[in-house]
Amino acid sequence: MNLKISALDYIQEVKTGNISAEDFVAKTIERIQSVDDKLHAFLSVSDDAVNQARLIDKKIKSGEQVGDCFGMPISVKDNMCIKGSKTTCASKILENFVSPYDATVISKLKQQDAIFVGKVNMDEFAMGLTTEFSAYGPSKNPWNIECVPGGSSGGSAVSVSAFECVVSLGSDTGGSVRNPASFCSTVGYKPTYGLISRYGLISYANSIEQIGPLTRTVKDTAFMLNLIAGIDPNDNTTIDNKNEDYLSGIESGIEGKKIGIIKEMIGEGIDPAVLSATKDAIAKLEGLGATCEEISLDMVKYSVAAYYTITATEAGSNLARYDNIRYGYDFPLEGYEFNSYISKARRKFGSEVTRRMIIGGFVPSAGHAGKYFLKALKVKSKLTKEVNDAFKKFDFLISPTVPILPFKLGEKIDDPVSLFLVDINTVTANLTGKPAISIPFANSNGLPIGIQLMADSMHDKSLLQAAYALEQTASLPEVPT
Amino acid sequence: MVTEDEIEQVSKLMRIDIDNHKEYVEKVHSMIDYFDILDSAGVESEEISMPEISISKLREDEHIPFDDKLIERLNHYKGTYVRAPKMSS
Repeated sequence: MNLKISALDYIQEVKTGNISAEDFVAKTIERIQSVDDKLHAFLSVSDDAVNQARLIDKKIKSGEQVGDCFGMPISVKDNMCIKGSKTTCASKILENFVSPYDATVISKLKQQDAIFVGKVNMDEFAMGLTTEFSAYGPSKNPWNIECVPGGSSGGSAVSVSAFECVVSLGSDTGGSVRNPASFCSTVGYKPTYGLISRYGLISYANSIEQIGPLTRTVKDTAFMLNLIAGIDPNDNTTIDNKNEDYLSGIESGIEGKKIGIIKEMIGEGIDPAVLSATKDAIAKLEGLGATCEEISLDMVKYSVAAYYTITATEAGSNLARYDNIRYGYDFPLEGYEFNSYISKARRKFGSEVTRRMIIGGFVPSAGHAGKYFLKALKVKSKLTKEVNDAFKKFDFLISPTVPILPFKLGEKIDDPVSLFLVDINTVTANLTGKPAISIPFANSNGLPIGIQLMADSMHDKSLLQAAYALEQTASLPEVPT
Repeated sequence: MVTEDEIEQVSKLMRIDIDNHKEYVEKVHSMIDYFDILDSAGVESEEISMPEISISKLREDEHIPFDDKLIERLNHYKGTYVRAPKMSS
């Protein structure tokens, strides 16, 4: 059984009867059992997945209507609700929380006969970019298990890269899908803000975060978007995409397209191997008929500070609900007055979440809001103007997804500002609401390098066409694990 | 420059109880110090643009009963407090 196939190939194989959903899902579960002790991608594994796959095989044999996924095994970041399943957000405070409802993306995929093989690891409440801030321990990069897999959707990227599922769902607040995709050599997609419903996604920073797929190929990403994008009455920030078909015309190419190379994203601090790969990608795109030209976006150098100010503020508000009254864990009331009870209960938050809550209380507070929060919102506005102006001239913007290679576990964990700067190339898409994709493109001494393409809002379809064109030029080694 | 006392006061207001104050305060301090870069962005005259959603786009505010009879499960009284059932198992 070849577990390395793409989603589209899996569907074709099951449709034509070459493989059964049950066999594939059973082998996937075996794979998880054999490699996950080492990689720690999964926080929980479904004990019913094989039974569900068997029922799908029965439907296929009896000629019943079968959903587009044909029992495809999918992993889900543990901040999305699946009814009746644990949703921990990789936090001890939600250790035994069982969701009473399905997130919209989950409902949509259930209708298409997807099978959720398990919930995957992440930084606690999605606050981090290495998965080291999971309360249940870090995931490991399958390309080198001494390195971080990226984050916060690290478990998603690891599970796709190490063939523990076919596709995964992650969430991207400042690069949390694209960063681990780059570090683990998978495709990672952050759609236009509002394209995918956030209903049932545990909130971190609502104004900029989006759910996005991590897949083996760009075509698989387009396929997933077809299934999960679109307006949702339960999330009034969603956009009507008129049932756009993201897969059709994906091979259209990029001849005649104009691509801006973001100067501030290939400057100081970039790893030479990452710079070399980026130049190679630009040359490949030019070879396909695109024209590339450098562009400067002045606000990029302030984007990380603006991003962390805004997200901490929203997190401070969102996490206020974890008072152990509405959500929480068994903890006796006796001996505490109201405020001290909440304070004690919140000791279950990990160190990074606690730090960000403190910052989230500080930066919008009276006396400091003008210096931090309001200024961050102004940077966001000005950055959006700069990027909108750039898209008057260019069809796409290009940069490396992450300016450095995957680094060793523990290497940056005690230096929050150094960790912040890893986000420098990804936060712009979130602050401006633009779609962006990380495409696996190169490998340096066994460590993956991803290239990021960004497009204007609602140009997701043409972005996927450009990404597909670039993907076809890459020749990558197979993951060693 | 942010003082450690200010950070401690905010922690208290946020109802966050931490053991190792010094370690937290130092890291939070370094993070907030980094945000000072915003002072040089030159955005003082910039307007803040906020997304607007018209009322017509909001869903109807309908009462949808939950599966369980939650009110009947509010039976854990302690003085003037009542404890709601956990959403977890």
